[in-house]
Amino acid sequence: MIAITQLNTSEVLRYMGCPPEKADGFLTAQVEACAREVLEVIRPRWSWRELGLSFEEEGVRLENGLLLPGEDLKRHLSGCVRAAIFCATLGAEADALIRRTERLDMGRALTLDCCASTAVEAVCDQIEEELQSKFPGCSFPFRYSPGYGDLPLEVQGPLLDLLDAPRRAGLCATASHLLTPRKSVTAILGISDKEIERTKRSCLGCPAQGSCQYRKAGGHCGIS
Amino acid sequence: MEFRELLRAPGPVILDGGLGTMLQAKGLKLGEYPELAALDHPDWLLDIHRSYVEAGTQILCAGTFGANREKLRRTGRTVEEVIPPSIAIAREAAGDRALVALDLGPIGQLLEPTGTLDFETAVDIFSQQVRCAVEVGVDLVKIETMTDLQECRAALLAVKENSTLPVIVSLTYEERGRTFLGHSPACAALTLEGMGADVIGVNCSLGPREMPALVEELTRWTTLPISVKPNAGLPDPGGAGYDITADEFAAAMAELTELGVKLYGGCCGTTPEYIAKMCKALEGRTIRDISRQVPAAVCSPVQVVPIDRVRVIGERINPTGKKRMKEALLRDDIDYMLGQALEQTQAGADILDVNVGLPEIDEAGMMVKVVKALQGVTDAPLQLDSTRPEVLEKALRVYCGKAIVNSVNGDEETLDAILPLVKKYGAAVVGLTLDKNGIPKTALDRLDIARRILNRALNYGIRREDVYIDCLTLTVSAEQEAASQTLEALSRVKKELGLKTVLGVSNISFGLPARPLVNQNFLMMAMTKGLDLPIINPNLEAMMAAVRCYHLLMNIDTDAREYIAAYGSATVSTSITAGAGQPQTAAPSGERTLEQIVVSGLKGEAPAATRKLLETMDSMAVVDDILIPALDKVGADFEAGKVFLPQLIQAAGAAQAAFEVIREGLSVQPGGQGEPKGIIVLATVKGDIHDIGKNIVKVLLENYGYPVVDLGKDVEPAAVVEAAKKHGAPLVGLSALMTTTLGSMEETIRLLRAEQVPCKVVVGGAVLTADYAKRIGADFYARDAKGSVDVARQVIG
Repeated sequence: MIAITQLNTSEVLRYMGCPPEKADGFLTAQVEACAREVLEVIRPRWSWRELGLSFEEEGVRLENGLLLPGEDLKRHLSGCVRAAIFCATLGAEADALIRRTERLDMGRALTLDCCASTAVEAVCDQIEEELQSKFPGCSFPFRYSPGYGDLPLEVQGPLLDLLDAPRRAGLCATASHLLTPRKSVTAILGISDKEIERTKRSCLGCPAQGSCQYRKAGGHCGIS
Repeated sequence: MEFRELLRAPGPVILDGGLGTMLQAKGLKLGEYPELAALDHPDWLLDIHRSYVEAGTQILCAGTFGANREKLRRTGRTVEEVIPPSIAIAREAAGDRALVALDLGPIGQLLEPTGTLDFETAVDIFSQQVRCAVEVGVDLVKIETMTDLQECRAALLAVKENSTLPVIVSLTYEERGRTFLGHSPACAALTLEGMGADVIGVNCSLGPREMPALVEELTRWTTLPISVKPNAGLPDPGGAGYDITADEFAAAMAELTELGVKLYGGCCGTTPEYIAKMCKALEGRTIRDISRQVPAAVCSPVQVVPIDRVRVIGERINPTGKKRMKEALLRDDIDYMLGQALEQTQAGADILDVNVGLPEIDEAGMMVKVVKALQGVTDAPLQLDSTRPEVLEKALRVYCGKAIVNSVNGDEETLDAILPLVKKYGAAVVGLTLDKNGIPKTALDRLDIARRILNRALNYGIRREDVYIDCLTLTVSAEQEAASQTLEALSRVKKELGLKTVLGVSNISFGLPARPLVNQNFLMMAMTKGLDLPIINPNLEAMMAAVRCYHLLMNIDTDAREYIAAYGSATVSTSITAGAGQPQTAAPSGERTLEQIVVSGLKGEAPAATRKLLETMDSMAVVDDILIPALDKVGADFEAGKVFLPQLIQAAGAAQAAFEVIREGLSVQPGGQGEPKGIIVLATVKGDIHDIGKNIVKVLLENYGYPVVDLGKDVEPAAVVEAAKKHGAPLVGLSALMTTTLGSMEETIRLLRAEQVPCKVVVGGAVLTADYAKRIGADFYARDAKGSVDVARQVIG
């Protein structure tokens, strides 16, 4: 059972483009109120499968035949013989709340949106923790999602299919491979029986790295 | 035996069990497509179907669950290649012992507003499957495992428009009794029975033990037979299986006879063994006959509004006599209408009337846009208001839930044009007591017309509970004797015909001083005569007060809870003064100036401060000397890194509140200078659904005085071109968040240039850079919302 009871408000502020130490009382109060509102409406759902991996010329092939193309994931998963593939979503209510609030108060809508982004990351953290506990003695590189590096978004559909995500979590991809509801994630958590060098999730793997607003401002988005 | 005979016969109807999980047990790989089983593993499929028939199944679902063109796209197969052999194999297994159903599962992409799939496209996708099955021949259709009521409606319409086959419609719910999208069994039942489903049910997701609560809710809202097809218990999130044995399953299913369930089967994890044991357990049990009476009610996908007390219909989304609304319609400013909707529901409206009739615009097109947008932000059911049948039909198609059609009257032509639409889409209808000869003077004549409308509606198969009569309010200053006739007619319609009543109230006081007094009292009189659905402006406190008092005094508001919640902390003056309808405003703070208010982003204080300034200052001066400089200061601080995006937006929000006050009094564009500035068209490009950045840009541009036409997200290049031409926009802004959608941004710019639209293009979004913007042919790159304002100043001034 995945349940989030609080959000890291500093992370929310960073998503909002505001260094946490520079937030005034009004903003801090709004973030706290919005965090409560988001926590009330979200219904985290998830699904996962454990699959064996093989490494090929064009990328990583999952045990069921699905190819995850590209060099970056191959490098990332080196040393792993299997992976836990998972998806998670906050549900459609979070989208609806943000959509409604955009018509009333854009500042608040932005805050809610950033709270929801923080929440979905928190949900993934919990899932990852739960999955890691199922594989004692193993080590895990950070979870990797379509869109990172050269892993294309086109794999979203097949990943959702193998997770039976529409039926189990109400999570689908659009024709252009974006996840709906919007506050959702699919991820590949490599599993290695040996010690591997645990790399931090970094800006290098991020599709936004060239133009990231946080990096332009000399910081980072807070996802690590 | 035909399906409908099977339903009429006593005893349970036995459906089949899981197919996908059975195929997996036979060796279907994870991620392999079960809909291709008929082509790749026909022997497995035949074997499974046969085992179900052996187990006692009377209706087999063919293996066509995901055989729609969107899901099949990835397999390289077509609907026409997959559906006929799937049905043929089911038919072979069924012989003359079972019927065969075309199984329609979800398309696999979410429809608007959560996803991007358009409703009519969904209807078309399902229609292709239905036509293909009709050609091969099936006995019925089973629409199942749906989580979106709108997708159910699309599938059901596809069946109705392409066949005469009977239909079972089944949704899948979570433990909280809602679908993933939050849709409820009550809403599904009201909507789908109205649209002509033959059976309504529940399948998948949960086990049999979680069924009773769902079934009980269904029985309150439909008179149709109910089907239940649960999983073998609750699934393990890691795919390890389900938690209930065949014996437990059978016992729990047999219990459902007590709740009157007619059709029994299983979903994921159930096998022929489960069905055989269930058959056995059902033997000798009689299905309890529960008499059901569905009350008058309307709904959205998430909210039922039973007409069991006074329900307020908000009248504000209507251009008649509302300059600002007309302007919004002409400028495609859907956001303004959404704001009006939310304001009314916050004030207490239960249902919203939607009228977008203006001679200058495409009413049908606008109606569709507004209905979709409204359903994206409000849960309130809608009353679709137009005199034109083609507009009503378009609106009814896309409306998800049970709507009210406003209106028909006693005129034969109108009845024949509109009542069939009301029936087809399962709506309720308002009947006006007038006809070709006008509005009858006497109550008796109006009662006659009401009776005529009722009879025609009944002939078309519309339920009596779904006919609401409007006895028509006339202006009392012109015809003083008319008010009592209206009330008399209302009272008789209620008593003699037993129908729910509607009344537009505000007309009564036209031409009189102190209108709120007359309106409030007339409303109270009408309610005591039996008015169920007043159409009013809920933002007027006096009107909502009358409704609350009525509920209090008639013992409808139990223990005065709602009354106390509304007025427990209020100080109400004893007299209603003129202008009681002024929106409430926060007390002006003596200390802060408007400039400080904007800089600090104190939206709540802005209107009062602005009003105060307008007492002594010209509105232009307020805009040019206070608001714009204040925004400039915040903008400069933002660029200097002294304030951040949230504060910038808060300031813009406060300025917007001030501009709205100025606009109320004058036809002035925010930003002043008298002449309206050139329009900016904004869109998040095709394929992209991340639009919050674009929406922030919109708010900012508007508060710097630029009128914006916002096309929304996932916008086709051609739609951007069309809007830029239509509004003569000097500037078009495009946003994209994903690398994958930069291609559509480039395509949009290319099309604008190819069509020689004389506009500049500014682009923005997380993955864009100035270099890339130049490469795809944009004139400007905006790194953030403030940057867009700078570009607008440069291009437009």
